[in-house]
Amino acid sequence: MSLEIINSPIFATIQDKGRFGFNSIGVTNSGVMDEYAYLIANKLLENSEDENIIEIAFSNVEFKALKDIKVALTGAKCEFFINNTLYPTWQTYSVKAGDIIKVGKIEEGARVYFGVKGGFDIKKEFGSNSTTLKEKLGGINADRLQKGQILESKKINEFYNIRLKEKFVPKYEDTLELRVILSYQDEFFYKEEIAKFFSSIYTVSNEFNRMGCKLQGEPVSCSIDGIISEGIGFGSIQIPSDGQPIILLKDRQTIGGYPKIGSVLSIDCFKLAQAKPKTKIKFKPIEIKKAQDIVKKFYSSLR
Amino acid sequence: MQFKVASVDSLIIYFGDEIAQDVALKVKKAYQGLKSLKLEGLIEIIPSYTSIFISYDIFKYDYESLVKLLKQEINLDSKIEFEEKIVTIDTYYDPEVGLDLKDMAFKTNLSIDDIIGIHSNKLYDVYAIGFLPGFAYLASVDEAIAMPRLSTPRKQIPKGSVSIADTQTAVYPQASPGGWNILGRTALELFDRSLDTLSPLSVGDKVKFNPITKKEFLAQGGVL
Repeated sequence: MSLEIINSPIFATIQDKGRFGFNSIGVTNSGVMDEYAYLIANKLLENSEDENIIEIAFSNVEFKALKDIKVALTGAKCEFFINNTLYPTWQTYSVKAGDIIKVGKIEEGARVYFGVKGGFDIKKEFGSNSTTLKEKLGGINADRLQKGQILESKKINEFYNIRLKEKFVPKYEDTLELRVILSYQDEFFYKEEIAKFFSSIYTVSNEFNRMGCKLQGEPVSCSIDGIISEGIGFGSIQIPSDGQPIILLKDRQTIGGYPKIGSVLSIDCFKLAQAKPKTKIKFKPIEIKKAQDIVKKFYSSLR
Repeated sequence: MQFKVASVDSLIIYFGDEIAQDVALKVKKAYQGLKSLKLEGLIEIIPSYTSIFISYDIFKYDYESLVKLLKQEINLDSKIEFEEKIVTIDTYYDPEVGLDLKDMAFKTNLSIDDIIGIHSNKLYDVYAIGFLPGFAYLASVDEAIAMPRLSTPRKQIPKGSVSIADTQTAVYPQASPGGWNILGRTALELFDRSLDTLSPLSVGDKVKFNPITKKEFLAQGGVL
């Protein structure tokens, strides 16, 4: 026994890097929404880079440590208490049996990552611990975490607490620039529509979940209504008939029939994962070659 | 074959621009070929009606190098004959579980028995799998019983529901919201953890619906 969830309701799920190789039978990739915060948490804890973690979407989660464990909190800037004392995030802590850990109000950003040294001892489903509510897969009973649940952590070795250097802690701004690779059905969008897409400022709407993020703003029109359903990747931007872009994220459906103007760079989707409704979004075009170099650099620097 | 960038780590190959059996055959050939090559670094391969989507490890390939490799490796002229797999889906057709059967009979001017006969008399192609784990898009349903999606989708469609949307037919592998017209129910698991393939159906297979009685349905483990 290592950690008990002692309040409810909470909106927290077990996630890891995701579930790969099953898209062809309709199983989504799932996985953490913000890989940057996730990878840093595992790095601070000296875990493997695909160790499971708790993704907290609406904060206010209280845990009780049932034995001595090492924890780390990253992601959204939030109140983080150990026995009612406030501590900074993006670093590891040693907590003792009986300690109460509380993730309180979120001040900046949207998703908090709470990891333990060694990870939680949970059986994987199709190679992953990621919880996908719609598909009823992963996590614990394929559901959100519940009050009274006890999470076991794996055995750990000697460990020293560490903190991430301040310059690597992200700021979650009110305006976000997302880099876009024009792709898929881009040829069915007239030049003026593409120009409009890149020159407008969009707003993150309330329709924002693990499947996708709907934006509001200048409608973009496509010269075709729909397409024959085809596979869709992380970050793809669907343009439905109302012209309001939807950016597809980790729990997206594997195939779909809306025209897509392009794709947001994966690492920029991690920033989007921390955006709240009303955040302003600007798009900027990027070439595939440059985009691949940037993404490779991102992952290399975290290894 | 037309190659196109999809995202920073994915591409899509188009084999045609309409839903047709010859296009589907090309997709099937390319998909089977790609799977048998077992190329390292291909993370997802998603076949659909006219396309194959591939996500890949960008530490192994850049877009140009992967396109070059795939152009060399995908051979659509190969004469390999595929074993035609026909999957039978035993279905209990009755208004008790076929929630839209009566409505469909009214709209089509056909009897319920006619609708069941027309639906179960045809061999369908598996064109794509998606939306939910094991949800297979089958086509084409006879025009006589083609039905537009419900104007208001149901909040919960029972698991195993056999359904129609336009000229497509499908089985809901799990309870889910949805707007397709429901004709009956099967006890067959469409997302089966005990199978190596996880789903009894894959793109390129054929499907036959077989009408069974309520008694047989219950004996197979069907739930009303």
